[in-house]
Order: sequence, then structure tokens, then C-alpha cells
Amino acid sequence: MSHASTAPTALLDVRDLVVRYGPVTAVDGVSFTVAAGETVGLYGPSGCGKSSTAHAVLRLRRPQSGRIWFDGTELTSLSERRLRPLRPRLQPVFQDPYGSLSPRRRIRDQLAEPLRVHGLRAPAAVPGRVAELLGLVGLEPSCGDRFPHELSGGQCQRAGIARALACEPRLIVLDEPVSALDPSLRAGIVNLLLDLQQDLGLGYLFICHDPVLVRHFCDRVLTMRGGRVSTGGWQSG
Amino acid sequence: MSRAHRLKAALTRAAGLVAVLAAVGLLPWLSGEDPARRLLRARSAEQDPTPEALDAIRADLGLDSGPSGLLGDWAAGLVHGDLGVSWVSGTEVLPSVLAGLQVSLVLMATALVTAFLVATALVVPVLVRGRGTSGGVAAMLAAVPEFLLATLLLIVAGVWLGALPTSGWADASYLVLPALALGVPAGGLLGRLVADALPAVLDERWVELWRGAGVGRARVAAGALRRVLPPLVPQFGMVAVGLTGGAVAVETVFAIPGLGRTAIGAAKSQDLPLLQGTVLALLLLGLTVGALSAWLRRALLGPALRGAGLTLPAPHAVRVPVAVPLALAAVLAAAIGWGLLRDPYAIDTAARLADPSSAHPLGTDALGRDVLARLGHGAAATVGTATVVGLLGWLLGLALGFLPSLAGGLADIANALPPVIVGILVAAALGPGTGGAALAVALVSWPPLAAHAAALVLEVRASGFLLAQRAIGAPPLWILSRHVLPAVAAPVARHAVLRLPGIALALASLGFLGLGAQPPSPEWGLLLDGTADYVERAPVAALAPAVALALLAALAVALSGYTGRARPPVRGNRKGAGPGGPVRVPRADAHPEAPVAV
Repeated sequence: MSHASTAPTALLDVRDLVVRYGPVTAVDGVSFTVAAGETVGLYGPSGCGKSSTAHAVLRLRRPQSGRIWFDGTELTSLSERRLRPLRPRLQPVFQDPYGSLSPRRRIRDQLAEPLRVHGLRAPAAVPGRVAELLGLVGLEPSCGDRFPHELSGGQCQRAGIARALACEPRLIVLDEPVSALDPSLRAGIVNLLLDLQQDLGLGYLFICHDPVLVRHFCDRVLTMRGGRVSTGGWQSG
Repeated sequence: MSRAHRLKAALTRAAGLVAVLAAVGLLPWLSGEDPARRLLRARSAEQDPTPEALDAIRADLGLDSGPSGLLGDWAAGLVHGDLGVSWVSGTEVLPSVLAGLQVSLVLMATALVTAFLVATALVVPVLVRGRGTSGGVAAMLAAVPEFLLATLLLIVAGVWLGALPTSGWADASYLVLPALALGVPAGGLLGRLVADALPAVLDERWVELWRGAGVGRARVAAGALRRVLPPLVPQFGMVAVGLTGGAVAVETVFAIPGLGRTAIGAAKSQDLPLLQGTVLALLLLGLTVGALSAWLRRALLGPALRGAGLTLPAPHAVRVPVAVPLALAAVLAAAIGWGLLRDPYAIDTAARLADPSSAHPLGTDALGRDVLARLGHGAAATVGTATVVGLLGWLLGLALGFLPSLAGGLADIANALPPVIVGILVAAALGPGTGGAALAVALVSWPPLAAHAAALVLEVRASGFLLAQRAIGAPPLWILSRHVLPAVAAPVARHAVLRLPGIALALASLGFLGLGAQPPSPEWGLLLDGTADYVERAPVAALAPAVALALLAALAVALSGYTGRARPPVRGNRKGAGPGGPVRVPRADAHPEAPVAV
């Protein structure tokens, strides 16, 4: 794989990714792929660089070096403006269910926002799509009228997933999506994610520090330590 | 704070200082009117402004070299310690400035000692009891602006009791009333800052540990003080800077030949070189105090905490019952509303300085005008002006809240300039008037709003949902207009509204000094100045504006407890929150509550 000039076939192909925060190297030459419809786990202790990897893949932080191909396009060389049309297809779900939603707007408006930003639907079709999204993640239609602080943590996380689904993504980066939730709610969210993958053919990059969950949930697991993929690299789950 | 950030802040600070200095140096030119004509009028009102006379003056002072030449000459003189020659008296400016500075320094030092005593008296009970707050007394002391307290002291101690000299500058007895007028509000503010921060500090774990280990009460108290003081030093600095502004008012009331009174006199007589010199000295005094407090803070913190800073725990919520500001506002509104129905300009020479009667509920002034009517109409005008100033401050605060490094440097300059000094500068450039006073107060009233806005911007920018917005692919303008601005604008607007009484007081202080609205306008500061002279003949009419201003000051303090604390419902302690724990939200109300420097 020298000087890969041809676009790879995997949905996501990350090569030699390096992320530095000042003098600290958080991610030090990480490479992996995620195929369409596949779940790849990124497992490791806190501070090992897995969230930095996720942020670099989402281009919420520009990596210092390395290449990221997503769906045939190289992301690290794109400007923010050129990247914007691609973003809906590559969506995150964050750890904190309340923090990832604006406290000032109704759930309905927040689910409609990606559609409005990209103008993907006619304005008249937006409410229908929002209702569809609420149904897809198992929320009551009435939840759309509420504010985040009126919902439970599990409901908020479902709303966050619905927003990620709004523009029909191909890959979702799940950044510890259940670790902030009550244990009794975790199974519900995990099962929802598995169902959605089956129905929509989503690829998942699953960031997790729970060894049991990561084995249960993922097709393949990549163990990180000190910014590198630890020796052995791939484990089959 | 990174090195680059610090450098940027230092550069803005330097640029701001240069801009202020340039404004001072360009005063003769900024004023728009031909400086030569002004000078002629300053020297003698009768002399005809013939072209020959004007040309002679221009050549004499080098005025025909234009603004850059003027600034260059002034700066060159400054370097050599030459501040020019007074336009009025024709004497050197520097000796007058130095003489005024000496007097002002003595006055301010005495006032600082007074403030220290007052603050100690407020803090000791809290330290001894180990809990509680400074309470209403400190709030009231801190609320009274210097010009009002000075007038009240003049009336009560000087005129009625006749015990102490009220005018001039001879021996120590002349110092008592001015030092009280200047020191008591500052002491109230200092004591309040410390006493309100102490209870939360005394609840910290280390205090429990020390007590459990048998450490004596005195040592715990000393430790708590040591813990409380360093983070408050910047605010002490602002209180001290406020003294330079307060000194102007106090010196004017008690006819003390200090720097402030010299500056006011120079501004009124258009003696621009003298004004430049005195304002420069006042500015240097303010900046020196600011630098001293920064140095003191670093010294108190020690090397380990220099970068990290040391923050205080959130003070225990001491909220004034809502009824207090409501009652104050209701009393004021009722008096103003009643007064608005009456004619403030009708002169009744037969009923001059009349006692209260059914025809004149608060009596009449020296021209026989109804005091209640003047109070009402004056308030209506002031509310309008204060609202415009508040709006300007809101816009400036919002704009600068997004540029914290720029705002930091500019805020340092604005904080080093009490409204009175800016008012003097603006009045010298534009002539005294309501617009100039409003501009002066607007120029210095934005820093707390900008600090609040900056804290909110930081909070929103750090939030997860903004990250989600970027991941959605929302353009920066979309994020700014739909998410960041709404989260910042409304709380800062509320904060600005709560500061309106303080702004009105600052406007009144400028009016009182003759730098704001001009007679016969019924502006409150002017009313106080106009009626106080007749206190022996018409005490009610004289005290009515003072009481109204005191009510306004009390309202300002009662409302200050609410600034920045009204928050949208972010999230209750819900059962679904789970073991991830609540997410820490940076406190938006951690901005320093700036003292109302009048």
C-alpha cells in the first residue's frame, strides 16, 4: 500500500493518522478501515486517543498528517466549505445526550435543522420527515414538541440518533453513545442501533471503553493504547 | 492563557492607551471650534475676535500646524516634562498639576484608610460568626454615590451641626468630611466583596479539616482571608480607580484644590492645556493603581498559581427579596408619574423656596418652580438617555464578547477611566451636554456586559451541541445567528436592563458636576446641585432630589444581585441522567460584578 493513489474500496479508510495537541501526540499513526454495513470498535482506556481519532474522522479537528478516505473522497485535503456537502453522510452521536442538543430549541426543530441547512427536502416535506425520524428511533410524536430538559437521558440520546439519521448517512461515529446512560437504558439504545444498521445498512465506528459491550456490538475491534493501535491490531469479536 | 494571547492583550492595552493619550493631546483640535477663538474667549470675553488677534494667538501657540503638528508638539513637550502654559492664567501647567496631585493623593490616601476601616468593620462579624453575609448595611453604603454622600455630609455635618469645616483645605479637620464621603462607599464595596465571598470559602473542605485538626479559630479566619483576597484584588483595583472619579465630585463639593476640581474648572473655562495636564495625571493615577493591584495579586498568589489563577467558590446565593426592588421601583415610579403631570418650568416668583403644601407637594426651588414636577420630568429624560446608553453598552458588550482578547485590553483601559474623567474629556471636546454625558457613560459602562457575553460565548462554544452543528455541516454564520447569538443576547440584555439605574446615577453625577444636561433642564444631578445651596431655608425641597437619588442607588444595588443569574432551564436533576454524572457547565455568572464607579 505504498503511496496509495487509488481510492480505496472501503467506506472509511484511515491511514497513518496523526493528531497532536501542542506537544502532546494523541494519535500516532493509526490506520484502519470500515466497510459499508460493518461495525468497527475502537477500544481502549481513557486518554488512549480514541476520541481524538473520532474527531479527526469527523473533521471536527484537522489531523496533523495522514489520509482519510470516506466514500471515495479524501477528506483531510478538503476545505471546510468543500467538506460541508459531505458531512450529512458522516454523522456523530456523542456521549452526553443533553449536551449534544441545544437547550433552547424544541426537538422537532433540532431534527429538522440538518434538512434545512442542506435544503435536502422541500420545506413542506420537513415535518413529515421529522415524524418519520421520531418513529425510526422509537420516540412518541409528542416528543417533538418538547425541549431537551423535558426528556429523559435515553429519550435525548434517541433524539440525537434521529438527528444523525436525518440526512441518510452512510457512516455514524458513535462516541461512547451509552456510557452516560443509566444501565437499564443502555440495552434499549444498543438494540436500536443494531436494528437501524440492519434496516439502513449503516457503517458504525464505535468508540467504547467497555470490553463486554465492545465484543457484543462490533464485527471487529481495534485496541488503542498511547495513541497507537496496540500490537496484534485486529481482534475478531 | 497562551503567550500569543497575552501578547495580543498587551498590544491592545498599549494601543488603547496611545489612543486615549492622542485624544487628550488632540483636545484643542477635537473640539471642532477654532482653538484660537476659544483661547481668546477663555482669556477675555469682551475682546473682539479680530483676524489679527486670532492670527497672533495661532502663531504664538503653533496652532496653525494642524492636528498632527499639534499632537507632535504636545508629545514632544510631554517627553521633556513640559505640559504647556495655561490659556487662562498664563502660568506653567506642570506646577499646578503637581500641586493638585499632592492634595488629591492625601485625600485619596485618607479615604483608603477610611475605606479599610469600614471594610474591616463589615468583614469581622462574618469572620467571627463563621457564616452570614455583610447584609443590607454594606449594600447601602456601597450604593451611595460619592457626590450624593458628599452633599448629604455637607448638609448634615457642615450646615446643621456646624462642627466641621466644609470648604477649603487647611488643617486635618478639613479632611474629615471629604475622606468620609470618598471612603465610606469604597469601604462598603470592599467589605461587601470580601464578606460575601467568605461564607462559601468557610464551607470548603480544608476549613473542616483544619477545625477537625484543632486549629484555632483565629488561624482559620486568617487562612480564609488569605484564601479570599487574591482573586478579589483586581476588583479592589477597580474600587481604587473609582476613587479617582469620586475624588473629582468630592473635591468639587468641598472646594478642595485637588486634581479633580482643577480638571473640572479647566474643562468649564476651556483651559485646554491645564485640562490635558490634569486628565493625564488622573489617567496615570488610575493606571498606576491598576498595575499595582495586578502586581499585588501576583505577589499574593505566588509563583505556582500565576498561570492557573485562583477562583473563588460560587458565593452562597444571597438574593434580595424581589419585593425590595419592586417596592423601590414602585415608589420612584409613583413620584415620577405624579411629577410628570405637573409643569417643571413654570416660575412662580411669589412662592420661592416654599415649604411643601397642597399646591407644591415637595415645595419649590429658588425660582419658585415645583420640585416634584422637576423630579418627574428629569427622571423621564434620564430614563430615555439611560436606555440609549444601556443599548449602546449592550451592543458593544455583545460585539466585544466575541473578541475576548481585544475586549480584555480595552476593558483594562475602560476600567482605568471613571465616567467622570471620560465625561470631562467629552465635555471639553463637544461642550457639556446630555449627548456628551451619554457618550461618556457608554464608553465606560460596557466592560461587565462584555465579560458576561464572553463567558456565555465560551460556554456555548464549549457545548456539545455546537460540535454537532459543525458535524451537520451548518455554516459558521448559521451557527452564529441561530445558536450562539440567541444564547448570548438575551441574558446580556437582561443584565443591561438591571444596570440601568447605575447608568442613570453615572449620568446624574455628570449632571451634578455641570458636565451633562444644562440648566434649566430638570436633570436629577442638576437638581441636587441647585437645591442643596438652600437647605436651611427649604430643607424638603433640598432633600427631595437627594432622597430620590438614594432610592435610585438602592434600586441599583438591589438589582445587582440579579445580574447574570437568570438562566434558561438547562436541565433539572433528572432520573435519566445516569452514572455519567452531570456535565459541568461553566458558570456564566462568574464574571466580576463591577462596582458602579461614579
